[in-house]
Amino acid sequence: MLLLTVALVFVAMILLSMPIVFSLGVAGVAGLWLGGYPMQQLSSALVSGSQSWVLLAIPAFVFAGGLMERCGMSHALVEFARALVGWVKGGLGMSVIVVAYFFSDICGSKMAEVSALGSSLMPPLTKAGYKKADSASMIAAGTAMGMLVPPAIFMIVISQVTNTSAVTLFLAGFVPAFVIMLCLMALVYMRARKYDWPVDAKPSLRRIGRAGLDAAVPLVVPIVILGGFFFGIITATEAGAVVAAYAFFAAKLYYKNVSWPEMGKIAYDSAILTAAVVFLLAVASIFQYLMGVQGVPKLIGEVLAPLKGHPWLFLFTTAFIAMLFGMVLEGLPAAVVLIPVVFPIAEEMGIDPIHFNIVQTAAVGIGLFLPPMGVGLLMALKFADLTVAQHFRTYVPYICALLIGLSIIICVPEISLTLPRLAGMIK
Amino acid sequence: MKFFERIPQITVTALIVLAIVNLLVGVILRYVVGGFTNYMDWDPVPFTWVEEIGEMSLAWLTFIGAAIGIRSRSHFTLYVITPRLSAGTRRVIEIFNHLLIAGFGLLAAYYAINLCRLNWSLATPGLQISLAVLYASAVVGGALIAIYAVSMIVAPTAQESNSGH
Repeated sequence: MLLLTVALVFVAMILLSMPIVFSLGVAGVAGLWLGGYPMQQLSSALVSGSQSWVLLAIPAFVFAGGLMERCGMSHALVEFARALVGWVKGGLGMSVIVVAYFFSDICGSKMAEVSALGSSLMPPLTKAGYKKADSASMIAAGTAMGMLVPPAIFMIVISQVTNTSAVTLFLAGFVPAFVIMLCLMALVYMRARKYDWPVDAKPSLRRIGRAGLDAAVPLVVPIVILGGFFFGIITATEAGAVVAAYAFFAAKLYYKNVSWPEMGKIAYDSAILTAAVVFLLAVASIFQYLMGVQGVPKLIGEVLAPLKGHPWLFLFTTAFIAMLFGMVLEGLPAAVVLIPVVFPIAEEMGIDPIHFNIVQTAAVGIGLFLPPMGVGLLMALKFADLTVAQHFRTYVPYICALLIGLSIIICVPEISLTLPRLAGMIK
Repeated sequence: MKFFERIPQITVTALIVLAIVNLLVGVILRYVVGGFTNYMDWDPVPFTWVEEIGEMSLAWLTFIGAAIGIRSRSHFTLYVITPRLSAGTRRVIEIFNHLLIAGFGLLAAYYAINLCRLNWSLATPGLQISLAVLYASAVVGGALIAIYAVSMIVAPTAQESNSGH
């Protein structure tokens, strides 16, 4: 009863365009007050929720991502991918997907990534003769896939709320993202043949070499992250610090195109974004307290009891809900509201926590790019100057490719678990 | 007024720089210095304080940044119904929302003062500073949230169609 009231307050506040984090906050206070719980809990939950070593990876990665984007590293990646596969049938389109994979590696924030890719890829695609609806679809679907590529902020948050290792989750993400990437590239290839998409001229070896050299600077980052995590040398937070320092020195000593005031601006923007993310987690911890004392996980466990014998059905159901949450609520609020409730049930059913988190991350990532209101999709469409309705028909096959990728990840846990197993992080 | 707005902005920028530099110092202490002292068989250099500085700066960064975010509208918001309402109704709803936000900030600040008092005599293991410094972040942050929310009632900033991260 209490929780129903709290949920109603939350929804009402959201509909009144109250920022989601404060809708959560006000609903949480209402819950504490109505249930007669100590109000002290409010402040102590806020402080304990925002004070965490793992979360310190967020400011480091956000700052590094902002700086690397500002240096022009995304352009270098685009050029390299184009030189490599641009001359194959549908190659330019495929290079968009490849770039999205590697760019996610240096950029933790999805919205920053969509705008970076949108602004740097839309003009060359249009110039090469690609239709805007297709270009926007490739950028949107590619970025949705990139949700699984470390160091996504979302992964840090989901590992925090489920109390699992961020490093293991990061490491687990590389292969599932690769699987979705293959699905998308297959689709691009089929469409390229069907609609006879244009191809680039075959590049000279010199051009490939030059582009490769330019791209080497950003490509160090995924190697550091993958290697550092695989051999268990560094933690997620330390990796953040190393990448931030690398970005700083690359900007100051190699690119030399970022002034000190600009650097300050990037630091300030990163601080505000970090604050928004961590504050959301902190406020949501009031909810976790309320749900705990009210015995919600047990309640939901009873409701979902019929699914108990069928882990994959449970995964499909929760992934579907996560997708809807991701579309409506944006990624992180979805993580802090939904995941803590369903995670204990998944654990009880014997689903591997890492597999579960990977599936939910992928689902929320796709949700962000689902019509009609996924924020990521809306952002991508801004760059293409299209409405959701104009874009929809072209986008459907891309959504299908994403969903096929997601289904494969759900049905084959080994895709998510092999790399962490090889690294000896899980059994 | 402009001057006072700069203070929290400069503070969060300084805090994020502190947080990242502190992390780096931690990495260097653990891998470079730690490796060296280990090799020489010296006593290890303690680095628990790195964790304390990091967590404290993150808590302060979060609360001050969250308050600034109210004015810069960087907290994620859904605009489903409100864009279809008249400007006058929208304004009334905005004032109502920001009053609630201000109330939330004040409550958080008030109970955090209590926590400061309770934890006054407890010190962190590494730096030996009072835990009240940590809880004070919620006092200052809560108060700033209330101040920024009130400022949005008095002099609102322009509304974007959509924001997010």
